[in-house]
Amino acid sequence: MPKHFFWWTATAACVLWYSTITIYVAIKGGSDIKHMLARLDATRIREDKEEHHT
Amino acid sequence: MTNFNWLLDGSIVGLYLLATMAAGLMVRKYVGKVEHFLVAGREMDVYLGIASLAATEFGIVTCMYTAQNGYEKGFAGATPGFLMALAMAVVGFTGFVINPLRDSGVMTIPELFEKKFGPRIRWAAGVVIVLGGLLNMGVFLRTGGQFLVLVAGLDVKYLEIMMTALLVGVAVYTILGGMLSVLVTDYMQFIVMSAGLIVVTILILMNVGWENLVTTVETHYGAGGFNPFINPTMGWQYVVFNLMLNTAAVLTWQTIIARVLSAKDTMTGRKVYTRTSFFFVCRFLIPGLWGIAALATLGPVANSLEAMPRYLSTAVPPGLMGLLVAAMLAADMSTDSSYMLTWGSVIYNDIMAPFRKKPWSEKRGLFWNRSIIAFIGVFLLFYGLWYPLKGDLWTYLGVTGTIYLASISVLLIACCYWRKANSWGAGAAILISAVLPISYLVMEQVPSTAAIAKSIGPYYSGIATYLLSGAAMVIGSLIKPNNDVRLKEGIA
Repeated sequence: MPKHFFWWTATAACVLWYSTITIYVAIKGGSDIKHMLARLDATRIREDKEEHHT
Repeated sequence: MTNFNWLLDGSIVGLYLLATMAAGLMVRKYVGKVEHFLVAGREMDVYLGIASLAATEFGIVTCMYTAQNGYEKGFAGATPGFLMALAMAVVGFTGFVINPLRDSGVMTIPELFEKKFGPRIRWAAGVVIVLGGLLNMGVFLRTGGQFLVLVAGLDVKYLEIMMTALLVGVAVYTILGGMLSVLVTDYMQFIVMSAGLIVVTILILMNVGWENLVTTVETHYGAGGFNPFINPTMGWQYVVFNLMLNTAAVLTWQTIIARVLSAKDTMTGRKVYTRTSFFFVCRFLIPGLWGIAALATLGPVANSLEAMPRYLSTAVPPGLMGLLVAAMLAADMSTDSSYMLTWGSVIYNDIMAPFRKKPWSEKRGLFWNRSIIAFIGVFLLFYGLWYPLKGDLWTYLGVTGTIYLASISVLLIACCYWRKANSWGAGAAILISAVLPISYLVMEQVPSTAAIAKSIGPYYSGIATYLLSGAAMVIGSLIKPNNDVRLKEGIA
C-alpha cells in the first residue's frame, strides 16, 4: 500500500476523474453550444417576425 | 534558463490565441439584448455549464495560490478544495438557495434582494459585491503576468506589457459577445487548460515520483503536511474559516452563481453544481502537487509564490511547454472574461438601477454594459500595477472575498428562508461584513497596526465577520419588525 493512502487515492482520483470528464465534456459541450446557438437563432427569427407583424 | 522554445511553443500558444479570439468574436452576432449579453439568454445546458464553471474558477491566480499552498503547507494545503467540493455537492444536491434564486428569474443576486428588502438594500448589496469582487480580482493580472514571465523566461520589465496584452485580448471578445462569448471561449479554454494540467501532472508524478513528494512533505512539515488540524500554520480556525468562505462562495460568488442564472432551468443549474463539485478537489490538489514538486526540486526559496513557475520553467520540455503556457493562458482568459462580465452585470443591473427610472432600450443597455466592462479593465490594469501583495495570496483573496461573501450569503439565506428578515437586519449585516475585513486589510498595511493585525490573524478575523454578520441580520430584523414585508413567490 502506498504511503499516505488518503492522499494517494485523492491524487489518483483527480487524475482519473479529470481525464474522463475532460473528454466527456469536450464531446457533450460542443453539442450544447450548437443547440444553444440554434435556440437563440430561432428565438431571434421568431421575435423579428412578431415585430414585423405588429 | 527556461525550456520555452519560441518557435515551437510560441506557435502552439499563437494558434490557441487565434482560435479563442475567433470563437469569441464569432458569437457576437447572437447578442441582441441585455439578457443575451448578461445571462446568454438563459440557454446554457449542463456540459457547457460544467466547462464554463470549471474554466472560470481556475485561473493562473488559482494555480499560483494553490501551488503556494502546496509549497508552504504540503498536502494539507489542498484542504479548501475538499471543503468547496463538499459545499458544492450539498448545494447542488439539495438545491439550497439556488432553487429559489433561479426560480425567481433574476439576473443578479441584489435584484432578488429588492423583492424582500427594498431598492436601497439592492443598491448597497451591489456596491459591496462589486467592491469585494474587484479588490479580489485586482491581483489576478499581476500574478498571471508573473507566472508567464517566469515560465517563458522573459525579462521582468515585460510583466506590465504582458498584463496589458492579456487584458486587452480578453476585453475585446467579452465586450462584443458578453456571456455568449464567455461560454463559448470557456468551453475551448476548459479543454486546453485541462489537457495541460493533466499532462503536466502526469509528467511531474513520473519525474519526481510519489515517494519523493511524500518524503519532501514529511521532511519539511512532518505530520502537519498531511493533516490541517495539526499544521501549525493552519489549525481548526483555518478549516472553519475556509468552510464558511467556500460555502458562502458556492452560494453567492457572482461568477459561480452566473452559471445558475444562465442555466436553461433550475435543474440544469443544480446538475452543473453536483457534477462540477469534484473539480474543486482537483483545483487545489493538482497545482498543490506542482508546488510540492517545486519544494522537492528547488528546496526553500525566498518567494514561495514564484517557486512553482520557476520549477516548471526547467522541468517541462519544449513542446509540452507550449501546451502548458496555452493552458495557463486559457485558464486566465476564461477567469478574467467571466469576472469582468459578472461584476459588470452587477454595476449595470443593480448599482445603476436608480438611474433607470424608465426602462432603457436594449441598444442603450448593451452600450452601457460594454462601457462598464471596458472601465473594469482599465481599473484592473492600474490596481494590478500598484497594489503590493503582503502575506499569502489565498489569504488575501479570502479576506477581500469575505467583504461581500459574509453579508451576501447571510442576506441570501435570510431572503430565501426567513420570513422575519428585513432591511434593518440586511443593512446591519452589510455594514458589519464590509467594515471588519476592510479594517483588517488597512491594519495589515499600516506599520503601526500591522503587529495587531498579525496577532489576530486572517482566520479569526474572517470567522468573526461571518458570525457577526449573521448576528447583525437577526438582531437588526428583530429590533425593528418589518410591517411591509414584500412577499414574492419563492422568497420567504
